[in-house]
Amino acid sequence: MVLLLAATKTRPVFWHFVPWLKVVWYLLAVASVAVFVYGVLRPIAKYRRGHGGPWPPCPWRELPGRLSTGARLLFSHATIDRRDRTAGWAHRAIFYGFIVLFAGTVILGFDTDFTEPVFGWSYFHGEFYLAYKEILNLLGTALVAGVLVMMARRAIARPAKLDYSRPDRAPGDPQYDRRVYRVGDWWFVTALLVIALTGFVLEGVRIAMDHPGYAGTQFGGWIVAQALGGASHATLAGLRHGLWWFHGLLAITFVASIPYTKAAHMLSSFASLSLRDPLAGKRLPSIRPDRAAEPAGYGALGDFSPLHLLQLDACTKCGKCHEACPANATGRPLSPRDVILELREQANHASAGIGGLLGGLLDGSAGGAGFTASVVGPNGVRAETVWSCMQCNACVEICPVGIEQAPIINQLRRRLVEEGELDSNLQSTLEVIHKSGNSFGENRRKRGRWTKELDFEVTDARKQPVDVLWFVGDYASFDPRSQRVTRSLARLFRAAGVDFGILYDAERNSGNDVRRVGEEGLFESLAEQNIAALRDCQFKRIVTSDPHSLNTLRNEYPDLGGSWAVMHHTALLLELIEAGRLEVADRLSYRVTYHDPCHLGRFQGEYDAPRSILERLGCTLIEMPRNRDNSFCCGAGGGRIWIADTPGQERPSENRIREAVGLPEVELFVVSCPKDVTMYEDAIKTSGNAEQIALRELTELVEEALVPSAALHPA
Amino acid sequence: MKIVVPVKQVAALDDDFELLGDGSGVDPDFLQLDLNEWDAFSLEAALALREGDGGDGEVVVVTVGDEESEEALLGCLARGADRALRLWSDECRDADPLTVARLLAAAVARESPDLVLCGVQSSDAVNGATGVALAGYLEMPHVAVVKQLDYAAAESAATVKRELEGGLVEVLKVRLPALLTIQTGINEPRYANLRAIKQAREKPLQVSTPEQVGLEAGALAAAAGSRRRQLRPPDRGEGAEMLAGSAAEVATRIVEIVRERMS
Amino acid sequence: MSDVLVIAETRRGELREVSLELIAAALGVKQASGARLLVAILDQEPERFAPSLSADGVDELLLVPTPTEHFEAHVSQRALEELIEAERPGLVLLGHTIDSLGFGPAVAARRGLGFASDVISLSWEDGPVAGRGAYGDKLVAELDFPGKDCTLLMLRPGTFEAAEADPTHPESVPTRSVELALDGVAATEHVSFDEVQESDVDITKAPFLVSIGRAVEDKDEIPRFEALAQRLGATLSVSRPLVDAGWMPSARQVGQSGKTVKPRVYLALGISGAVQHLAGMRTAETIIAVNTDPEAPIFGVAHYGAVADLFEVVDELEQVLG
Repeated sequence: MVLLLAATKTRPVFWHFVPWLKVVWYLLAVASVAVFVYGVLRPIAKYRRGHGGPWPPCPWRELPGRLSTGARLLFSHATIDRRDRTAGWAHRAIFYGFIVLFAGTVILGFDTDFTEPVFGWSYFHGEFYLAYKEILNLLGTALVAGVLVMMARRAIARPAKLDYSRPDRAPGDPQYDRRVYRVGDWWFVTALLVIALTGFVLEGVRIAMDHPGYAGTQFGGWIVAQALGGASHATLAGLRHGLWWFHGLLAITFVASIPYTKAAHMLSSFASLSLRDPLAGKRLPSIRPDRAAEPAGYGALGDFSPLHLLQLDACTKCGKCHEACPANATGRPLSPRDVILELREQANHASAGIGGLLGGLLDGSAGGAGFTASVVGPNGVRAETVWSCMQCNACVEICPVGIEQAPIINQLRRRLVEEGELDSNLQSTLEVIHKSGNSFGENRRKRGRWTKELDFEVTDARKQPVDVLWFVGDYASFDPRSQRVTRSLARLFRAAGVDFGILYDAERNSGNDVRRVGEEGLFESLAEQNIAALRDCQFKRIVTSDPHSLNTLRNEYPDLGGSWAVMHHTALLLELIEAGRLEVADRLSYRVTYHDPCHLGRFQGEYDAPRSILERLGCTLIEMPRNRDNSFCCGAGGGRIWIADTPGQERPSENRIREAVGLPEVELFVVSCPKDVTMYEDAIKTSGNAEQIALRELTELVEEALVPSAALHPA
Repeated sequence: MKIVVPVKQVAALDDDFELLGDGSGVDPDFLQLDLNEWDAFSLEAALALREGDGGDGEVVVVTVGDEESEEALLGCLARGADRALRLWSDECRDADPLTVARLLAAAVARESPDLVLCGVQSSDAVNGATGVALAGYLEMPHVAVVKQLDYAAAESAATVKRELEGGLVEVLKVRLPALLTIQTGINEPRYANLRAIKQAREKPLQVSTPEQVGLEAGALAAAAGSRRRQLRPPDRGEGAEMLAGSAAEVATRIVEIVRERMS
Repeated sequence: MSDVLVIAETRRGELREVSLELIAAALGVKQASGARLLVAILDQEPERFAPSLSADGVDELLLVPTPTEHFEAHVSQRALEELIEAERPGLVLLGHTIDSLGFGPAVAARRGLGFASDVISLSWEDGPVAGRGAYGDKLVAELDFPGKDCTLLMLRPGTFEAAEADPTHPESVPTRSVELALDGVAATEHVSFDEVQESDVDITKAPFLVSIGRAVEDKDEIPRFEALAQRLGATLSVSRPLVDAGWMPSARQVGQSGKTVKPRVYLALGISGAVQHLAGMRTAETIIAVNTDPEAPIFGVAHYGAVADLFEVVDELEQVLG
């Protein structure tokens, strides 16, 4: 028997099992699968209770494409790798190790439970078996290594992002430290480790008993076999039985527990990554006509979209968003991670019980009290947390599993706005925008007043056709510091012979930030007015000064019927320089750093045009540690520019200036957004760095480097 | 409990406004219209009282204004008022507080309210008189410049705090029905979001002429307390008068100016 | 010309300054029209105020005893109505004060008088002509009162220079007791007075603000400005940067994100005048600005400006105030 096995190179699955033991085993395996299936259905019932979005979360016909995109991201680990290669590789090792070992078990099961009993054909021997063992051993080893790295991170390295204590709760608050999550993490990694290790030990025992005569790369098992070399056959046999059951029971328990533990992310995270809105945060959802009469936004779990409920379960607590969030980095009571986890806890609490499961599966309507209770409150997500968000999308952008934190927070804001739970300064600014069409409360006739100091007239695009319609925006139109930049840009357009015009009185606040505040009705009204004004003009494309306007015109106006080609002024400037229409001398010798505006960088993926311009001007660009997609919000976004900061706290803009002055000999802090101009001019002064660094809008540097310079500055 | 809240759509003047050719008023192009700031507080006080009363009461907003002022009424309905009345005839244009109070009185009397809550004053005309004049016409007990309001349903009375000069406060009791003029800061007015404003168009808004609320022709003209002869810029030079000289001279001048202005 | 009737104001046993300002304004009318000037005192013990109201030119003091210890709007309202009925004055002058606003407009309404409140100028052209601010005092409206036998005007305190009474010669002005049936007229019940609370600073109500901004540069300088404000009789307010820095509470902040203030005098020290700040204070009656930058936007809205170093001026201000 031993020789036969060695010769045919396979192994018995049920070694020396009496029949009733086999029956027990199969019963347990079936039970495990049943518990697993129940655990998968339960959350689906929960998701169906979310009425704030379509069910299923995406149309069936889109599903294959979505899943293949999700699979590509999953197998490449592209999202998991970012800003943490160690964790990325460790996760890769665990992922591939787990998936291959799992596949191995399935292959074996298919042979044992299907092809052999049904067709009398078995493939689990010979070359196939050898290759199988090689691969499983290799990846089993990878799995163990990956798990050990993850354990070391938690036990030794302890990166800040894995600290689960909540910035939205004070130390001492029962909800402050999430001990239970750490226990869950350790259970998960330990279970994986023990399963993998017992597999090796079992193999070692088998080798020690059966002496199969080949080792290949079964080094794990082989090492164990050497250690057990001296043991008696009886000991080994007992060990083999014991370990088989231990490994087997642990494995089926693990399978059963997948939907209930951190392991659930294998399912939910993949689903979230596949189903997420590719424009999440950049294009916030409009209110569906069939829900227009109901309160806007998310007040209770029942208002959530099924996709967002699913995403609550998808969070792996990896902490990438926690680390990227500018609010969290500057001590505000907000971590996107904790918003998601808080909501997840509420959802799980609200959907406990089999009645909920059946009701939910049948018609999705069986919302218990938990699904109608307010999610925002002193013991839930706190209002100050919701209002701390800058809607900079750093969390959405970095989330490896596609969770839409910022859009979820925006939905919470929509309801708070509807209930009147908003900061009084913000409230009066919204009222001002409603009345005057701009956040400065200026009469709309004054919007074009910045042109008065130019020595030429800027075309009124309402009166004659233009090539380029310039949507100037509030700050660039009204803020005195930004007006200097605006005039500079106008002179450059003129010097380059651009046929451009503006909307004058007809332009309104673009609504980008109003929408991010959660005042959806005001956004709609502003967007409708702007779209109507733009429709009355003839032009080929739109250029904006403000990346915020760029975002909403490009990504959100199409939903309201306004589709045009929209670009940022930095892109147009680069185009003009490249076409030779603006001649710049490579003569500025400044050492500069460049701040990527959230709405230009992360929102539009435009990182290169501003850098390319700086290079052509002759500036030396020294990058800040947080650059490009990891750029740090100036603190103005999401309407925060209209909300007073808590006194005594470092503002995000000051934090950013500190980062810039930490660079060697940087003279200029270059920006390309009018809100950045305001925020950073202020922060340079308040942080006491006016001697160290000065602010320039990119346009101003272009004008400074222009040839001939006299053309723009008549004596 | 029925509460009537008289409100006003006010006009804020732009910095660089122009007068009409005849000096009788401001070119309307330079005005920004809005609900009077004080009325936001009186409305909020009314809404809070209704909510405290189990929501059974009714809050009725009423204004004297042309069609444009329906914007202000919509804002009130959006915040939670139950219905709105707009009273208008052309003789109400630029009307003085007594004319406005006379017309309001005719409409408010028909509502037989338990409480009338006015703003202390309007931010554009700053008369501070319409509310108390209305109380005069209605022969209703009244308290002016109320900064705190506690309603005791059992006694059908309110304990109010009247804000006097220099921060002094008088606490007094008044039985309902009564008219109070409400000071800013008494509460935090809620936000009227744009969706609510759109939905407020579904709520009842009734427009009436003076005749329709029972006033005889000529009654308003007879009530008018004044006539505006002209509107002119104040006696104030263009831009700042620059104080020259040393720091000591500047300081002396500043103290002089302060004493002169504060005396 | 019929009489001018001035209603004096008292509070907690003291005559209020506005009463003498009303007399001064009435004296101007008397001069132009030749009317007699009557001054009425409505108080539980009106005679105690007679000496302080005996100013030159007052023709008669009417002593009207009231049943309530403190001002009661409905009592004052009935009293004034009866005085008008009895004395038939052509012009009644009240202060544009919280107390008088509580009954003056009701009297005007009920008796169909000519009426204007918050009056800042008063002249006589065959009848009273009143000037009052419009649109946040950006304009002045001139009012007249055609067809009115009697006009009630409420004058803004601090606008007219107070008349001087001679308390040492009370016999110089004849007094007359006027007994009116005022029992049971009161419709409110006085409970108490709450004293001013120091911690509840409300800069929107302060008549005089000394406002400081970023140029202060050092938190330790704040107490110095608090002391300066106190000596000037002003309340200290600040621009946003000082609140953001945590140096001052947000209750003191003037501007778009803070409070909108309309004091009589706004002294801006080292505030350049960002739009957001100007939005909160541009309607102040008198704005005085001190800034080192001659181009500072604050000078665009100020009535008086000085290009000077903030601390040099503060040193000198402390000197001047002694």
